Amino acid sequence: MAETTYIDAIRRGLLEEMERDAAVFLMGQDIARFGGAFRATKGLYERFGRLRVVNTPLFESGAIGAALGAALAGKRPVVEMQFADFVSCGFNQIVNNLAKTYYRWEAEVPVVVRLPYGGGVGAGPFHSQSPEAWFAHTPGLAVVAPSTPRDAIGLMKSAIRDPNPVIYLEHRVLYRREKEDLGEGDLTTPLGRARIAREGSDVTVLTWGWTVHEALDAAAEAAKSGVSVEVVDLRTLVPLDEETVFAAAKKTGKIVVVHEATTTAGYGAELVARLADLCFEHLDGPILRVAYPDRPSPYNKNLEKELLPGKAKILDAVRRLARY
Amino acid sequence: MAPNTPSDRPSGDAPPAALLRRAHFLMRLSRAWDSRFESMARAGRIGRWYSAVGNEATTIGTALCLNAGDALSTVHRDLGAVLTTYLDVTRLAPSLFDASEATSWDAMRPDAQPLLDRLACQVFGREAGFTRGHDRSFHYGLIKPAWGIRHVGMISHLGSMIPVASGLALAAVQDGTKAAVLGFIGEGATSQGDFHEALNLVGVMKLPMILVVENNQYAFSTALDEQYACAKLSDRAAGYGIAGETVDGTDFEAVWAAMTRAVERAREGKGGTLLECMLPRMRGHAEGDGSYELIPQAERERFLTMDPLPRFEARLTALGLLDAARIERVTATATEIIEATVERALASPEPAVSEAWRSVFAPGEVADAFARQHSEVNHG
Repeated sequence: MAETTYIDAIRRGLLEEMERDAAVFLMGQDIARFGGAFRATKGLYERFGRLRVVNTPLFESGAIGAALGAALAGKRPVVEMQFADFVSCGFNQIVNNLAKTYYRWEAEVPVVVRLPYGGGVGAGPFHSQSPEAWFAHTPGLAVVAPSTPRDAIGLMKSAIRDPNPVIYLEHRVLYRREKEDLGEGDLTTPLGRARIAREGSDVTVLTWGWTVHEALDAAAEAAKSGVSVEVVDLRTLVPLDEETVFAAAKKTGKIVVVHEATTTAGYGAELVARLADLCFEHLDGPILRVAYPDRPSPYNKNLEKELLPGKAKILDAVRRLARY
Repeated sequence: MAPNTPSDRPSGDAPPAALLRRAHFLMRLSRAWDSRFESMARAGRIGRWYSAVGNEATTIGTALCLNAGDALSTVHRDLGAVLTTYLDVTRLAPSLFDASEATSWDAMRPDAQPLLDRLACQVFGREAGFTRGHDRSFHYGLIKPAWGIRHVGMISHLGSMIPVASGLALAAVQDGTKAAVLGFIGEGATSQGDFHEALNLVGVMKLPMILVVENNQYAFSTALDEQYACAKLSDRAAGYGIAGETVDGTDFEAVWAAMTRAVERAREGKGGTLLECMLPRMRGHAEGDGSYELIPQAERERFLTMDPLPRFEARLTALGLLDAARIERVTATATEIIEATVERALASPEPAVSEAWRSVFAPGEVADAFARQHSEVNHG
């Protein structure tokens, strides 16, 4: 069977949902004939036309606000930010309008905001950020970050069907690198459910996105020296699947929280806080964090690599913790 | 019609007599509401009131051009547009209107008094309000296609609803309906980026949206010369490739005529309009916040002479549609309705404290996952 890349899985998710439900439409810059900066929507304009693959002017706030309006009129918009970094220009519409509408007046706002995020390609300070914590802090937004093609399609389909705003983080490095045979069928992934990416018994790594793969590589390496690492792929950050996360944490008592976003007040801090609060008696060591140092992402690849929290840094933390 | 032409008088057909009589009652009803809430604000019985006094000809003159199924986006001085959109006046004030004056939209609308009661409860933050105490006054939405009402309220970030209104217009285009969208904004919010982003989209996609700028010449305490440097805000329309007009917003017929033209353009697929309505600032930003006193005395006095209500009544009297007795009857009826509405709302229950725990998520997978979290299980 043919393997599907992560970005093709996103496209298939969009296509299938657009075919399933006429209310679903796409908005974004350069997404029509061009197919988007990363070609995630390639071919969809030809299939669905200009009113369902809406090429917009260069704007973010206007796009998200318009998506909210269309959602209130019964549509299910999926808005592409060209790069996750640019979502800062639409921040107010997300945190004050999208996020608060349901709580304020119980109107459903089924809007998905797609954020192509993450570094690792020497793209510099404004094309490399991981902004999940900006949104995790705001009540009313679901935040998801698939690490595999299977979850890329599954979370896309589930996000589109949910009646709430969903921030969908798609990692640019994974777009064409990750491939798998998806098979046929309606491939959803439940929202709010983490996935055990690897079972282990000595140390638990909690992570999402690109660093899931770095953690799996670190786990394979650690296994060679007899350290068994469990890797949990959160998939959904908000709401957190505490059941799976806490069970995996209690199983080993030794936890490393890993994320690509910068350290201070990153989503990992929230995980650490919940674990300290609710799993304290099961802990056999400090909870370690491996995350991006508190700096913008430098342009030079060597400089960026120096800061990225990859396999080696995770392995180092795992080994330190295993010795406890 | 050349864009950007100030029109002191309507050039098209005059509004029909029945519409003018309805407009008069709605103006009086809006004014009675404001009088009541202004006095409560002065007495400290409500925290804040943003008066719509002076804006009625604009809000009612434009909203009366909408049909069932059109969308409305309001900010905080648009009570007139809300009342116009919601209320079947023939049922609210049967002593003033014949049943024959009911429109086809009225036939879709719910009973008017309970809806008015909910609006008052909304302002007081009561259980029966549209948000059940979760947000203030006009910060709510009411989307009831069966009633022909699609109304989106505001958030406190004043320009933020302009893109939302454009999205309602986009949906109308996608669905191939002839629906139009009427959005309101003050002149202050025209300085925000969302104004530009949304109107640019309206221009590029020829969206059926009319953005009414209620230019009352002061944004909180900031005067026009500190807000923008163009001669007229409607001049900006050319920059978006949409129609632009500036009218005297206290002249009901001029507003109605300009809006009639704008709605026609919208329904014909000719795109949006930036309709600037020049208004007097007859009150403070909010009642008692000190901003009114900052307006120079001479200007305040001039503004008070621009009240659209006596002007409208004089005009309708000249047209033979009103007389002193009818004005008195309309005013008394409006006052009675508002008094009774406010009293009922004040006596209505507060929301249960458990309302604070309303989920932030609509029912579904996300809401279920949210509820499973420890913090929710323990607090909820």
